[in-house]
Amino acid sequence: MENKRVKGFSLRVWARRLFFGPAKELNFLEEEQVQSPMRSMIKRFLHNKVAMTGVTIFVACLLLVIIGPIFLPLDLSFSDATQQNVPPTMSLASPPKALLDDVKEISAGTTYGIGCTNSGEVYTWGYTKITSTIDLANIPDEVKEDKIVQVSAGFDHCLALGESGKLYVWGNKRLGQGDIPNKAQKGLNFVQVEAGNQYSAALTDEGYLYLWGNGSADVKVKKEFQNHIKKVALGDFGYVSLMDDGSVKYTGYNTSSAYANIPEALSGDVVDIAGTSGTFVGIKSDGSMYFWGNISHNENQVPEYEGKVISIYGGRYHYTALLDNGDMISWGDDHFHQTQVPAKLAKGEKKAAQIFTGYYQNYVVTEDGDLLTWGLKGYLMGTDYLGRDIFTRLVNGGRVTMTVGAVSVIITMILGLLIGGFSGYFGGVLDMVLMRVAEVISGIPFLPFALILSSIIPSSVSLTQRMYLIMVVLGLLSWPSLARLVRAQVLAVREQEYVMAAKAMGVKEISIVFRHIIPNILSVILVNVTLSFATCMLTESSLSYLGFGIIPPTPTWGNMLTGCNNSVVIQQYWWRWVFPAAIFGICTIAINLIGDGLRDAVDPKAEER
Amino acid sequence: MPKYVAKRVAYMVVVFFVISFIMYFIYNLIPGDPAAISLESIRDELTADEYEQMYQQARARLGLDDPIFIRYLRWLGVYPSVNGDFNGVFQGNLGYSTMYKQNVVDVIASPLQNTIFLNVFSTILALVITIPLGIFCAVRKNSKFDQAIQVVTIVGYSIPIYIIGLVFIYLFAVKLQIFPVGGVKTSGVTLTGFAALKDKLYYMCLPLIVTTFANLGSMTRYVRAAMIDALSMDYVRTARAKGLTEKVVIYSHAWRNALLPIVTVIIGWFLTIFSGSVVVENTFSFLGMGALNVTGLNQSDYELVLAIQLFYTIISLVGILITDISYGLIDPRVRVDK
Repeated sequence: MENKRVKGFSLRVWARRLFFGPAKELNFLEEEQVQSPMRSMIKRFLHNKVAMTGVTIFVACLLLVIIGPIFLPLDLSFSDATQQNVPPTMSLASPPKALLDDVKEISAGTTYGIGCTNSGEVYTWGYTKITSTIDLANIPDEVKEDKIVQVSAGFDHCLALGESGKLYVWGNKRLGQGDIPNKAQKGLNFVQVEAGNQYSAALTDEGYLYLWGNGSADVKVKKEFQNHIKKVALGDFGYVSLMDDGSVKYTGYNTSSAYANIPEALSGDVVDIAGTSGTFVGIKSDGSMYFWGNISHNENQVPEYEGKVISIYGGRYHYTALLDNGDMISWGDDHFHQTQVPAKLAKGEKKAAQIFTGYYQNYVVTEDGDLLTWGLKGYLMGTDYLGRDIFTRLVNGGRVTMTVGAVSVIITMILGLLIGGFSGYFGGVLDMVLMRVAEVISGIPFLPFALILSSIIPSSVSLTQRMYLIMVVLGLLSWPSLARLVRAQVLAVREQEYVMAAKAMGVKEISIVFRHIIPNILSVILVNVTLSFATCMLTESSLSYLGFGIIPPTPTWGNMLTGCNNSVVIQQYWWRWVFPAAIFGICTIAINLIGDGLRDAVDPKAEER
Repeated sequence: MPKYVAKRVAYMVVVFFVISFIMYFIYNLIPGDPAAISLESIRDELTADEYEQMYQQARARLGLDDPIFIRYLRWLGVYPSVNGDFNGVFQGNLGYSTMYKQNVVDVIASPLQNTIFLNVFSTILALVITIPLGIFCAVRKNSKFDQAIQVVTIVGYSIPIYIIGLVFIYLFAVKLQIFPVGGVKTSGVTLTGFAALKDKLYYMCLPLIVTTFANLGSMTRYVRAAMIDALSMDYVRTARAKGLTEKVVIYSHAWRNALLPIVTVIIGWFLTIFSGSVVVENTFSFLGMGALNVTGLNQSDYELVLAIQLFYTIISLVGILITDISYGLIDPRVRVDK
């Protein structure tokens, strides 16, 4: 009790001094007297500008990796071919001003958008590069000259319809995306043109459907259905048609696919259909919705709503629907917030005049002419080769790296303190044995040995267990230097008078070591621990970089750089290595600055160096 | 002195046996049964009983049923194998590489050369740069130049070597196109004599620069610190008071005394550099022991890996031995103490 009161008291004094200054002015002699070694150490540290800069940067990094993952949760299994190697940009959903004034149609592609105006001009925006040579922003001259009335954005190609019924394709044509059937090139009257996953569809006003492109999708139409098709909805590997009798039919040949498993209820009275990557939906005139296909991202989990669905639009893994009361709802995958309809639209405060949904984006032109977008806006630091957001991985990877560093340092510290403390204090045979063990371990070549240890971890071990094992390996291999330091310090302190006094008073030996000796050498240990925190982080990242530490998909700052050592990545996909390298470098520099500052504070003699 | 050296050597030999035993033990923890592997090709042609019999024979032939210590001594070549002869590491038999379908000795010959050349050369290069730089900074302590060097060196030793590697590849191989991105020699061209050596050196340049650069930071700081300590000693003041020229004071009085900590620490670093070159070699696809180690581990070629580990252990122990001996040479007190 007595102790606690005193503690509370000193805290109050401290707080008062911090904000209001000392109770009365002290002359310098009195001030000198109140300075305990620890306090002067802290004072020296706080006055070291370089070290405080390090502290600031490190705390910023720490906050980023602790708070960041709360806002940017990591989906370990996520990978998306449509989002590969996108450079840092936040303007994937920002159409040019010239289009906004006069929108006729917008089509959202993978990481780009394309739109045409009422006067027939075509505009593209976002990241339009498909390969290093193919860029969708290079609109062919013939398209620029013609008056375009419809556009559609596909996986890696664009489709445009001219006023006279001429079709244009540009972009990647390697898989037949550009092989428009000859019959379709005779100036027919098209009502719907759609570009999908490397294939395209064009529907005439007579209900005749033309399909062409990559044959891995079912790009054929059965004869008997031709001239009866009213609307088509495209999925990744197949399509469905809305017929003129109000039924939904699978009009291709591959009738065994999940796409062809159309619900019974859709055999008539259907008003609208839409498709995502793997699913389709049909709406009947009473507003009821029926889903089929490979439902993988909650595409059929429609939220509660009031009213009747009158039209529906499909993205890659989500649907957006317009209700008869003017409200809008959206559901399905929400990885890019593509189902979070802006409040004004969701509540019907603003009415949508035109709705365009595709991949991960939604564009809505309101009745008063504003453009509202939601969904994928861009990536702060780009994406990697699997389409994963680098910033999210950076934040989550930082947490892993710092956790591994911290835990292995704690293991090192416990082992080093115990072994060094016992060895130094008791001496004799124990000291001999422990120091020989330490010498053997420090004789082991560190990195090669850590490599072999982590490679014998069986593959049956889960990723998390593997992470703990790596921490233990790092901790077990790096204690000898700390143990030797502690031992040397203990040897020096052991001969001090206060230790002899404690002995004379009959204090137990174990508590002499840990209550009298260790606190006195704590400052030196602190410096060492700070510096070895940086070392442990470096070692973990080196191991992970080589592919033997924490293995993907769990990100760390080290393994995010694996595979970046070729000229293609270094030059073309610079964001994949610059950001992880930069933040890791800054973080380790900051830790080393703190360590140096602490060393200067603990040992004022070192300051002279 | 000879007694001291002999003691240290004997001690290192003991440590060598302990570490190599630990490694051999870990190697034996790796799942996989050599006897079963040797019968894999004929397994389908045998009945269960025949297989069992041949399997037991194979185990006996390979000596797998003996205690691990006996097997370890056999691997070293100091204990007769099952058929009575000595055939182990000491006889030059490091095992068989399943990846290269060659004896490990033949596989590691060329990478060994590359690695040793890379590391020795970069250490020498680093010393040539850091010693004058460290002394200069110590003599002109807290000058603008010194402060600038302090900042550069802390950046140098904080940043992991592979990041330095990536930055250097970007600067010198991609942007300026002075050096190749990676590899050991121009592929598809057979060069001989001087041209081959020139080609090899050309490919070695960037790894060499990166290794050297990565080591500059900590070495410079250490040389500087040791030199400042030495310069603050009383004998330096005495030397100055005697009226000796500054040159003599620095190089003859201070530097000699700063040498002790520098030698010990820098030889210690020589080992860290070898460890660090694992990362550099992989970054530059440079065929050295480090790159071979990682490929070997990835391909489960464990006899090769074991041999490489042995190499690193020897390098490490020889380093410690040299440190100890040079310690003893420079500071006679050490000899008495131990």
